[in-house]
Amino acid sequence: MFHVDLAPHATHEARALEWLSPEERVRSGRFLHAGSRRRFTLCRAALRAVLCHRLACNGQQLTFGTSSYGKPFAQVDEVPNPISFNVSHSGSHGLIAVAPHGRLGVDIEERISRDDLGHLSDAVLGPSEKREFALLRGNRRTHFFFRMWTLKEALIKALGVGFSQDPAKFEVPLAVRRGAKTGTLRFPSLPRTDWRVDDLGTKDFAAAVAIEASPRRSLMPSE
Amino acid sequence: MASTEERLRTLVAENLEVDGQPVNVPADLNVSLTDAGVPSMDFVAFAKVIVREFDVPLTPDECADFSTLKDLAAYIDSQAA
Ligand SMILES: CC(C)(COP(=O)(O)OP(=O)(O)OC[C@H]1O[C@@H](n2cnc3c(N)ncnc32)[C@H](O)[C@@H]1OP(=O)(O)O)[C@@H](O)C(=O)NCCC(=O)NCCS
Repeated sequence: MFHVDLAPHATHEARALEWLSPEERVRSGRFLHAGSRRRFTLCRAALRAVLCHRLACNGQQLTFGTSSYGKPFAQVDEVPNPISFNVSHSGSHGLIAVAPHGRLGVDIEERISRDDLGHLSDAVLGPSEKREFALLRGNRRTHFFFRMWTLKEALIKALGVGFSQDPAKFEVPLAVRRGAKTGTLRFPSLPRTDWRVDDLGTKDFAAAVAIEASPRRSLMPSE
Repeated sequence: MASTEERLRTLVAENLEVDGQPVNVPADLNVSLTDAGVPSMDFVAFAKVIVREFDVPLTPDECADFSTLKDLAAYIDSQAA
């Protein structure tokens, strides 16, 4: 796991932009907000540095393809590479997870107080999770929600199918909901695959990483 | 009665912000929420607001299928028709 400092820094951002491919620079320029542009640019440049090192290639050789749901995978000299990685950014923090194989997802969220947690919890929590959430108030409610969100989002990002996996249709393991840092689960829609999920939250942010446990073979990322 | 596009613009202004700044979508709504920098938590919440305000069926998954807010407005109108 790599933590990326995404606090505003004009020099870092200008240098990071130089590391991006022409297509990535166009994408960076499309963001309406300076903050979103900065998060994308700095995280993508950091990802490029990490992957070039792991794959022993240079920046020109490394490009990214995307699955039909937008999950990026690495290509070296235009050949898809099985290395697993995933990226998440929020506020001033980015996380990059890398593993040799196994579908991988990471999510980070800066905790902010928001008045729509009730509506959000309706959309994303499963029945037991909703009951537990309903008993909480104040900070504990915010913490629980952001923890559940990042755990679920990391799992969904590992699966790589976006919101087509309804987050309310699976639940975080009970022990993890009660505070354990690690657990394994299966999606009801995919009953033969185990996923390991780890809570990486700190006082500054909620975060989680999920990985397919013991994949049977090294799948190509586009599969 | 305001048009769907106008109501959508107002809902974006009232419900979405990035880094505490309003999301300034172009007048023609020809922008995706991704390019606007809207993170997935706000995206899910916004899909719920659309369901409430326009009384149309819309899951976050369906909402993600629209490449621009203009397409979303056209979908809402098609549901009302
Ligand atoms: C994109 C998505 C995975 C995460 O969104 P998020 O929490 O706001 O953003 P995060 O910072 O955690 O993650 C973004 C990163 O996830 C990666 N990613 C994109 N699509 C992905 C997918 N389907 N699965 C896993 N990872 C994905 C990308 O690397 C992206 O970072 P980058 O574009 O800067 O390289 C989630 O919103 C999603 O699955 N959406 C479906 C598509 C969608 O709804 N798009 C919005 C249309 S308006």
